[in-house]
Amino acid sequence: MPLRQRSVRNAVVSMNSVPLLSVMIWLPALGALVVLALPRQNVAAQRGVSLGAALLALAAAVGVALFFNPAHAGFQLVERVAWVPSWGISYTVSVDGISLWLVVLTAFLTPIALAASWGTVERQERAFHALVLLLASGLFGVFTAQDMLLFYVFFEFTLVPTALLIGIWGGAERRYAAIKFFAYTFSGSVFLLLGIIGLYLLHGQATGVYTFDIATILASLQLGALRLDTGAERLIFGLFFIGFAIKAPIWPFHTWMTTAHAEAPSSGVVDIIGLLIKIGAYGLIRFNVQLFPAAAAWAAPAVGVLAVIGILYAAWIAYQQTDMKRLLAYASVSHVGLIVLGIFALNTQGIAGAVAHMVNSALTTGALFLVVGMLVARRGSRELKAFGGLWKTMPWLGSLTLLLALGSIGLPGLNGFVSEFTVLQGSWRSPGLGWRYTLPAILGVVFAAVYLLHMYRTAFMGETLPELARAPDVRPRELALLIALATPVVVLGLYPNALFGPMQQSVTQIAQGTLPYLASR
Amino acid sequence: MSFQITDIPRILPELMLLLLGLMVLGSDVLTRWGRGPQAQLERAREAGQLTAIGLGLIFIVGLVQSRFLFTVPDPSGGPLDVLLTLGRNLQAGGPGGSPILGAFATDEFTMVARLTFIGAAFLTTLLAMGYRLTANPGEFYGLLIFSTLGMSIMAAATEFILAYLALELSSISLYVLAGYFRESERSPEAGLKYFLFGSLSSAIFLYGISLVYGFVASENQKAGGTPIVATLFSEVGRFATGDAASSPLLILGMLFVIAGLGYKISVVPFHTWAPDVYQGAPPPVTAFLSTASKAAGFLLLYRLLTTAFPGAVGTPRLEEFSGWTSVLAILALVTVIVGNLAALPQTNARRLLAYSSIGHAGFLLLAALIWSSTSPADRAFGTAALIYYLIVYTLTNLGSFGVLAVLTNALGSDDLGAMQGLWQRNMVLTLMMTILILSLAGIPPLAGFWAKFFVFMAGYQAGAVPLVTIAVIMTVVSLYYYLRFLKAMWILPAPETTPFKTPPVANAAIIVSTVLVVLLGLLPNLIWGTISTAASVAAR
Repeated sequence: MPLRQRSVRNAVVSMNSVPLLSVMIWLPALGALVVLALPRQNVAAQRGVSLGAALLALAAAVGVALFFNPAHAGFQLVERVAWVPSWGISYTVSVDGISLWLVVLTAFLTPIALAASWGTVERQERAFHALVLLLASGLFGVFTAQDMLLFYVFFEFTLVPTALLIGIWGGAERRYAAIKFFAYTFSGSVFLLLGIIGLYLLHGQATGVYTFDIATILASLQLGALRLDTGAERLIFGLFFIGFAIKAPIWPFHTWMTTAHAEAPSSGVVDIIGLLIKIGAYGLIRFNVQLFPAAAAWAAPAVGVLAVIGILYAAWIAYQQTDMKRLLAYASVSHVGLIVLGIFALNTQGIAGAVAHMVNSALTTGALFLVVGMLVARRGSRELKAFGGLWKTMPWLGSLTLLLALGSIGLPGLNGFVSEFTVLQGSWRSPGLGWRYTLPAILGVVFAAVYLLHMYRTAFMGETLPELARAPDVRPRELALLIALATPVVVLGLYPNALFGPMQQSVTQIAQGTLPYLASR
Repeated sequence: MSFQITDIPRILPELMLLLLGLMVLGSDVLTRWGRGPQAQLERAREAGQLTAIGLGLIFIVGLVQSRFLFTVPDPSGGPLDVLLTLGRNLQAGGPGGSPILGAFATDEFTMVARLTFIGAAFLTTLLAMGYRLTANPGEFYGLLIFSTLGMSIMAAATEFILAYLALELSSISLYVLAGYFRESERSPEAGLKYFLFGSLSSAIFLYGISLVYGFVASENQKAGGTPIVATLFSEVGRFATGDAASSPLLILGMLFVIAGLGYKISVVPFHTWAPDVYQGAPPPVTAFLSTASKAAGFLLLYRLLTTAFPGAVGTPRLEEFSGWTSVLAILALVTVIVGNLAALPQTNARRLLAYSSIGHAGFLLLAALIWSSTSPADRAFGTAALIYYLIVYTLTNLGSFGVLAVLTNALGSDDLGAMQGLWQRNMVLTLMMTILILSLAGIPPLAGFWAKFFVFMAGYQAGAVPLVTIAVIMTVVSLYYYLRFLKAMWILPAPETTPFKTPPVANAAIIVSTVLVVLLGLLPNLIWGTISTAASVAAR
């Protein structure tokens, strides 16, 4: 493989010639091909191969994290291969402090999600595993792509497996949910593509260098080689914003997400790696804030309003739900509101808190989706009314769920608190937002406690329903999965610096980019 | 410019096609076939195999001759000398030269086109071999080859009369092929409709030519010369400059020529035959008709407009109407809108793809608009985008119509409803169709994405921004009906779940086209270099 290690802006940690990022991206896809080639009946081998591929990708991701140098702000571990040189399109992958976390998160959640699906897939298990692995490949690609077009390719690439997973193995309304998911996200991505091409052309016309490389464009913008006039910048910002707002999803574009969550396969696979890992929010940081700080500062108050409405509205609707998956879906929309609020605080705390909250909410909400999956497997229903007094028959599940729910609510000492607090602090201190935004957001955090504890109380407290009297407690595999998810919830809560340390430089750099525009307000 | 014996090798692939066509016809006619079904099967198989082998051979000859892959080294006394000498001789007839008194251009442009058509005919033959052919297989394959010959001459023609003859050769063969299933309800109707439309259009085309001829003669007389017989595109181009380029006679002739070719490329408003014919013709013929035939029309139109009417190029901006780029811009506008919107309510898969292919014709026209720019680099880029789109489109549509051919054969229907739950019945076919459909929709990293991307860029650089915007919106609209395929195949419940097998030959054709679509998507550079060379030659 003709591979060239190259520093883009800052010095890059020298590394041997193993293209670690590419290995990580393509291992799951390779695993998918192997799985498809296995005999249909040999389910054990299919599970083994897919889990193995996911674990190897996790190992590669750990390797990436080890080689990552937190002292540098820019893109690191760059791997570059020319793809369409005449157009300035290249296969360039790299990580910075922000994408590193999402990469690690994806790598961590994929094997868990795969193992959680065992025994819940009634038909065509082979195809199911292959699609999950393809999805993981796509996600890795999205978070590491340093070329805008490559990013777009991976962005689209994640759509098809997710839609198929929902559409084939989902709940009763799965067809509608899959089509809605695909239609919404794809229409959003068309705007994204327009934005990408617009930026590409403007950059090419201004500097003579036609390239899709984000680092190059960023450098041109920062050095003043490319000056966008206000109108053009806002237009392109808007195109990117629509694409990512739909994907994130920001209220009022969220309706596809709650349907998708509700109808996704009950084991929680898609919920975790298809929907909870926040491509949209990542894109907002990577493109909207990093590339167009002036337009971001201009739009911050308006986006902040959308975010706050999202937090409160989704929390309120979540409380009204009788269906547990829908409840968690709205909870996750509410979390997205908080993440977006943090991003558009445009300061170090806000953005760092937002990235941390992407990780934390994916961990806790994902774990709760798994719990619901386990409950559905035992009861055959997602309705909250169908459960009661579970703690008596399932003490292990009861106590772990409580821990996870408290983590999601933001109890101090657990991970959710750290990131929520940082986001709220950031938004309060942001000149663009201020306390008017923070106070209602805090209210939303209180709501979160209400709806989650409400769900917990109904399902786990009270009299045990007779149908559930003999429900078996968690099996060893399920216990292992829950503990794997609960561990970071506690660890990151007690030692948040592990979360913030590696991203500090990158976040600071992005936040500094917006400073001149915020100061001028 | 006179006839030279060295011109013969330059048109070797065409001569070989002619010979192959006669061979296929002859071997079928001259053999005494039994009456039983087994004998008929044998008969169809023989004709098909002969055609496939012959086309494959001609493809290889064309490929070696074009020097796209390699230049054969000088013989050096090794055991392979015979082959090397053969290769050297073939490549001596490579790009360059102007055989048949300059009426036939054997440049890279022709070579790319020729390979596309022969390749498409080869894949179509494979599809047809997997399809139940009832009667007269020799005629079927023979006509297919003659039609390929016609297309290949169409793309190479640089003279009006030869272009017309080539157009007729390819069209007349296709009329018969479209009506080939005599017992079926729709096929003869398709043949007849296609014939009526085609003959009317070629009359219009011919009338356009005569007007252009009159223009050249009168211009020449004005200049004090005698009215000469000038039917070469470049001769017309020489006269059609400056003030003369806006002469009503010339413009009228040009409009007639565009209208006459419009049916071949099925752009709105000359498209109305397409849905009926695509739906009614034998499925492998539809695959051929919607791809190679359309590509040939585009290439001829492109070469004709750019060499005969460079003076009347005009501007594609809709607000100031002038020249043929304006005409094409308007056609493109109506075509993308009508084609994509009309596809929405269709329930028959082939009819749906027919409208989608009309929509694609609109996207293709965008690439030609950039000719309004004076920079050769821009023009070359537009041409390259056009050729790339045509090749990708040919592969994708051949594959997807091939899948529909297999379905029609196995399920007896090509309604979208019949495709429900296909993944449980034939996984490979479903996967292939999914990839092909996603490529048609323009999802990266498949070839269809790059094709659209390049074409939109060309349109944008030509200054047709509103048009490109509408085309982008129509891409989103098109997604809706492409999704219906995926929905039917993957998500809707299957009325029946018994698996069925794809005939191996048809499967090979479908897999080859799908793999190429993926490959060209992952590595668009694979053919872009070659195409750029061809394009820069054509843009000179």
